[in-house]
Amino acid sequence: MSRITSVVRLHLTNPWTAIILPWMIMGFILLANIAIWAIILGAAAPEDRADIREGLGYSGSTTYFFVYIMVLAVQAISVTFPFALGYGVTRRDYYLGTALTFVGLSAMFSVGLTILSVIEEATGGWGLGGRMFTTFYYGDTWPQRLFIYFAAFLIFFFVGMSAASIWVRWRANGLIAYFVGLAVVLVGGAALLTVTNTWPAFGSFFATAGFLGSWAWSLVITAIAAVGGYLVLRRATPKTS
Amino acid sequence: MDESRPIFAQLAEQIESDIISGTLAEETQVPSINEFAAFYRINPATALKGVTMLVDEGALYKKRGIGMFVAEGAQGRLKTKRRDKFAAEFVTPLLTEAAKLGITSEQLADMIRKEGSK
Amino acid sequence: MTAVIEVRGLTKRFGSVTAVDDATFSVAENKIYGLLGRNGAGKTTLMQLLTGQDFATSGEIKVFGQSPVENAGVLQRVSFIKESQRYPEDFRAKHVFKSAPWFFSNWDQEFAEQLIADFRLPLDRRIKKMSRGQVSAIGVIVGLASRAPLTFFDEPYLGLDAVARQTFYDRLLADYAEHPRTVVLSTHLIDEVSNLLEHVLVIDEGRIIIDEDAETLRGSATTLVGTKTAVDGFVGSREVLHRDAIGGLASVTVTGLTAQERTDATAAGLELAPVSLQQLIIRRTNTSEKEFEVSA
Repeated sequence: MSRITSVVRLHLTNPWTAIILPWMIMGFILLANIAIWAIILGAAAPEDRADIREGLGYSGSTTYFFVYIMVLAVQAISVTFPFALGYGVTRRDYYLGTALTFVGLSAMFSVGLTILSVIEEATGGWGLGGRMFTTFYYGDTWPQRLFIYFAAFLIFFFVGMSAASIWVRWRANGLIAYFVGLAVVLVGGAALLTVTNTWPAFGSFFATAGFLGSWAWSLVITAIAAVGGYLVLRRATPKTS
Repeated sequence: MDESRPIFAQLAEQIESDIISGTLAEETQVPSINEFAAFYRINPATALKGVTMLVDEGALYKKRGIGMFVAEGAQGRLKTKRRDKFAAEFVTPLLTEAAKLGITSEQLADMIRKEGSK
Repeated sequence: MTAVIEVRGLTKRFGSVTAVDDATFSVAENKIYGLLGRNGAGKTTLMQLLTGQDFATSGEIKVFGQSPVENAGVLQRVSFIKESQRYPEDFRAKHVFKSAPWFFSNWDQEFAEQLIADFRLPLDRRIKKMSRGQVSAIGVIVGLASRAPLTFFDEPYLGLDAVARQTFYDRLLADYAEHPRTVVLSTHLIDEVSNLLEHVLVIDEGRIIIDEDAETLRGSATTLVGTKTAVDGFVGSREVLHRDAIGGLASVTVTGLTAQERTDATAAGLELAPVSLQQLIIRRTNTSEKEFEVSA
C-alpha cells in the first residue's frame, strides 16, 4: 500500500500543478465573468436587464476545469509514467496510484465546484444573475450537481489516461488507429440506428434518463476506459524517442 | 597509472618503491585500502589485490583493528628482489640499444664511470 | 559469490532488428561492472530488459533471484538512471530530491545534499530550463544517493564537463568503498572509467563478446612494432587483433604473450607497445564486425 501512496505523493510533489493553479485560474475566470456581467448589465437600460439576466445563465467557462484535468491525466501517462518506471515503480502500482490520485482530485474539485454553485444560488448569481456553476446541464439540486461534476471529472480523466496509454504503447500509429476505430464505432452505430429506425428510441432513452441518468451511464464508459487503459499500459515501455 | 598493465601490480610496485626509498618506513602504518583507492582513483577491490600481494610476499602485515604496516626487514628484502630483476629490466635493454648504435661494452663501461663520477 | 543478475539466452528483437542477441552472463554482488560498447550496440536495451522496463523476446532474466518484470520486491532494490531521463513538466530540481526518497529506502539525504553542493545544482530552477549537464547531474545524484543494492548508470554523465565527470567518479568510488553495492556503468568513454571497473562486459551488435575480470584484460594484449618480416615471423599463426602498416614497418596487436615470449620479441628486434583497455576493446569489436575482411 505504501508503494501506491508514494505514487500519489509523486503526482502531488509540486502542489501547484494539480491543486493550487487550477483553483487560481478558476477564481480568475469567475472574477472575469463577474466583471463582464457587471459591465453588460451596467451598460444596458434598466428595462432590458431582466432579459439579459436570463441570457447570462449559460457560461460554459467551467469546461476549462475538465480540459485541465484531462491534460493532467495525459501528462501523468506520457511523461510521469516513464519517469516513475525509473524510480522502480511497477506499472500496476503506478496505474492504481494514479487512478487513486485523480479520483481524489475529482472528488475535491467536485466538492469545491458544488460549494461554489451553492454560493452562486444563494447570492442569486453573484448578485448579477450570472450562472457559471449552476448552468442547467449540471442539474438542479446540489447533490445532483455534485454527482454530475464528479462523473464528468472521472470520464475526462480516464478517457485522457487511456488515450495517453495508447500513445505511450503504440505511439502515433496507435492513436490514429484508436480514433479511426472510435469513428467507425460512432458512425457505424449511427448507421445502425438509422437503418433500424431506432433513433427515436435512442433519443427517448436519454430523455427519460435525464441529465442525471445520462451521466450515470457515462460511468460505464469511464469504467471501460479505466480497465482498457490498464490493459494497454501493462505492456507499455518507455521509449527514448 | 599506466593503462595497459594490471593496476594492482602497479600499485604494489609503487608501494614497494616507497618502502625501498624509505618513504614508508618499517613498522609504520601505510594508507588504508580505501585511501589508496581514492588517491589513485582505482577500484577498492583492485587496491586490495595489490596490497594483498605485498602481504603474501611478507612486505606488509596487518594489525587487526588498526591497519596495514610495513614489515620489519621489508626494505632489505625488497632491495634484494629488485636487484635480481635489475639486470633483466635495465641492463639488457641498455645493451640492446647500445648494440643498435654500435657502442661496445667497454665504451659503455666508460660512459657509466664518467656519468657515475659526476 | 552471489549472483545479483543472471541472464540466459536473452534476446530482444524490434521488428527485424536484433538489439540483444542470445546474451548469457551473470553479475556478481558488490562489484563495479562496466557495460561497454559502441553507440547502438545494445547497452541501453539490455539495461531496460534487466530493470523490467522492456520485455524480452526470449530468454531468461533473474535479478536477486527473480524475474524483474512488474516485480516490486526486486525493483525497489534497483536504481536505473538513464542517459535520456525525462522529468515531469512541472518539476524543479528540488522536486526530484523530494520524491526520490519515497521510492528508495536506502536514500541518504545528507549525501544527496553534499552532492548537490558538489555539482552546484540550482534546486529551484525548472528542469526544462536546465542545461544538459545540470540534468545529467540530477540523475547522477539520484543514482548515488539512492544507495540501491543494484545501481545502473546508463551514460548519465554525458553532458557533464570533465571536472563534473571526475567528481562523479570520485564520489562513486568513495561511496562504493564505504557502502559496497553492485554498480553497472555503461559507457563508450572507456578509458575514463577503466580504472574504476572490476569486471568488464563488452557488447557489440547485441552480442556479449567480452565477459572478463578487468585486471586480467588489462595488459592481455601487446602491440609489436618492427619490420614486416620480423613482425610476421614472430606473429606466425597467432590471433591478430589489429594490423597496421606504413612503408616497411608493420604494427600488429596480439594477445596473450608470456614473459618469455616478450623477451624473445625484444631479442628479435621488435618494439613492444602497451595496449589500453579502450584500444583493446576497440580492436575486439572491430574484429567481430570484420571477421571476413582480409587485413594487411
